[in-house]
Amino acid sequence: MALWSEERPSEDFYRVLAPDGTLVGDPPDLDDDELRELYWTMKLTRAFEDKALRMQRSGEVSIISRCRGEEATPLGAAAALSPGDWCFPLYRQRSGLVYWGVPLDRQLANLMGAEPETIDDHLPLDDATEPPVNFSPGYVPLGANLPNTVGSALTDKLNDRDTVSLTFVGDGSTSQGDFHDALNFAGVFEVPAVFICQNNQWAISVPAHRQTASETFAEKSDAYGVPNERVDGNDIFAVYEKATEAVERARNGEGPTFVECVTYRIVEHNTADEPSVYRDEEQREYWLERDPIDRYEAYLLAEGVLTDEDIDAMEDEISEEVASAVAAARDVPESAPHRMFDNHLRGESWNESHQRAELERELDGKNPFVDWTGEGFE
Amino acid sequence: MSDAQVTGETTERNLVETINETLAAEMRTDDTVRLLGYDIGPIGGVYRTTEGLIDEFGDERVIDTPLSENGILGTAVGMAMRGERVVPEIQFMGFFYPAFGQFMYTLVKMRERSGGAVDVPLTVRMVCGGGVKSSEYHSESTESYLVHTPGVRVVYPSGPREAKGLLAASIRHDDPVVFMEHKKLYRTHREPVPDEEYTLPLDRARVAREGEDVTVVTWGAMVREAEQAADAVDADVEILDLRTLSPLDIETVLDSVKKTGRCVVFHEARRTLGLGAELTAVVNEYAFDRLLAPVQRATGYDVHFPGNQIEGEYLPDAQRAKYAIEAVMGYEF
Ligand SMILES: Cc1ncc(C[n+]2csc(CCOP(=O)(O)OP(=O)(O)O)c2C)c(N)n1
Ligand SMILES: [Mg+2]
Repeated sequence: MALWSEERPSEDFYRVLAPDGTLVGDPPDLDDDELRELYWTMKLTRAFEDKALRMQRSGEVSIISRCRGEEATPLGAAAALSPGDWCFPLYRQRSGLVYWGVPLDRQLANLMGAEPETIDDHLPLDDATEPPVNFSPGYVPLGANLPNTVGSALTDKLNDRDTVSLTFVGDGSTSQGDFHDALNFAGVFEVPAVFICQNNQWAISVPAHRQTASETFAEKSDAYGVPNERVDGNDIFAVYEKATEAVERARNGEGPTFVECVTYRIVEHNTADEPSVYRDEEQREYWLERDPIDRYEAYLLAEGVLTDEDIDAMEDEISEEVASAVAAARDVPESAPHRMFDNHLRGESWNESHQRAELERELDGKNPFVDWTGEGFE
Repeated sequence: MSDAQVTGETTERNLVETINETLAAEMRTDDTVRLLGYDIGPIGGVYRTTEGLIDEFGDERVIDTPLSENGILGTAVGMAMRGERVVPEIQFMGFFYPAFGQFMYTLVKMRERSGGAVDVPLTVRMVCGGGVKSSEYHSESTESYLVHTPGVRVVYPSGPREAKGLLAASIRHDDPVVFMEHKKLYRTHREPVPDEEYTLPLDRARVAREGEDVTVVTWGAMVREAEQAADAVDADVEILDLRTLSPLDIETVLDSVKKTGRCVVFHEARRTLGLGAELTAVVNEYAFDRLLAPVQRATGYDVHFPGNQIEGEYLPDAQRAKYAIEAVMGYEF
């Protein structure tokens, strides 16, 4: 059986926290509460996704892509934003969403296949639960988020606002035309945008070296006149610092930045995938030793920001938080079938009314094809 | 060889196995057959349709590409212009749209704008359809976009037996073909598939069941639903499995409708400008005086494919087909 060969990317990148948790650079200026919040967010994200994985196994969730082992990248990037900024996530950025309080129960109801209207009805956002950063719906078609982010940033620039728009792109998705459009437009219009390349070295079964002949993903933005950085994506400090610099540049009117965060997809692409079919799982060991939570935990313990007792207490709280999200999501009733018609166009066309009536009849066990005049049933 | 002539030994196969074996057979007999796509090599396709092919044929015949549908299609067209019989894969029809540029600009138009001098003999394998509780964008049936466009054949097997002959014919054909693979058919259904090599015509519908009272025109995963409806309804139903959506086999449709006097078009795609609209128009234009009832369309609704909790209510099924058949059977002038 053919397996892909892997090429380990250069680790000649910006790093603050070594894999063993020792400092090799200057840590960001964060107080103990902020440091603990970053830790908490990564742990909560992991616990939540592991629960969702188990729910997938038991049939409650149809499919999930986890960011396990990559939590530092979306988290460090999102934490660099300020209230009022905009974020355009994909499906593997959950730690960023968790950081800004995108409610876990709503996230889980979405994974359980509920229609967005059903989620809004049963788990509505209010002033207390609305995240202070604006999150677009998560994007599934790869690359499509990127030009939208440029448009968002251009809007703020044209309206003289100092808001920043931040988005993500996987290593694989840099091959999409949309990626090149976005960087080109971003450079030409000098928009206040930040692009985070979450290079986890795999796109389902295809390794990063099949995506590009460039040595790094970072250097791609050179051609578009967009400055770039390349950081250890499993180092929360490195990601946070470089993302913060990029966000500040954008806010100060200095234009876009592209930040490649080197990490590794230590788990399956999603729950329909089995990586041992196409890759040598030995590489995984190497990256497991570079886990973002482990190294950060070692650092926090060594610095006395956390104690083992704190961690135990946090783990209990996290279990409770996940359990209550699960309970709330399970309380959301199955979406009503007529929800499928919602939010396509404003107003009701003849066609929409008629098809709603057809569906209603079908659900009532009545023949939906007996309106012979176009004037309705009965 | 036409379908009627296929005889001899058969083996039970599902659609995944059939496609895999047919690709392998074509690659063995023709060195210019090359597969292009992402996740087709060592992983063997996310649905395993290309499993093992890289082991047998190597990575110059089974080519994993960067993650760009437009790149795949455009490169495949260029190779086809140079005579390779490329078989690009589009992993999900919902992700075909980035490739629409190459589709519209080159694939469908190269032959016409070169005055017939340049052929594009490729076969795009397009994974489509819903009903497997997939996530957003993974359940599309937007074949109308393709059929609306001249210059490309659109082929849609309803099961393994059809798929074998249609895929072999598509790969060997000098026209560009989009070969639709409904993912729900991949593993849900096994049937005897003839062991011998055969091709099926790329412009002929199949009469899947003969009947006198009403014609159900359908294709893909809906054929078996139509068969269940026919079993359950109090009418003698004729079922046409179109097999090729472009060009349409209008003659077979008209012959059947003129015989039965009633017509139901049954498809998974949305209704507005779904192929049912065209078929209804053709029947009205050429068989109007034989009709005993208006043509009915049993289809998906005019909405974006819904989340998996309610896809069952979106998707047409045997019950919806049965309602449409009963409606036209009960119609009185
Ligand atoms: C336009 C498009 N093509 C294909 C897909 C199917 N698909 C979903 S994720 C994925 C791999 C993405 O890899 P990468 O960009 O590296 O992101 P990762 O999943 O590794 O985070 C593919 C091919 C898609 N969602 N959108
Ligand atoms: Mg990736």
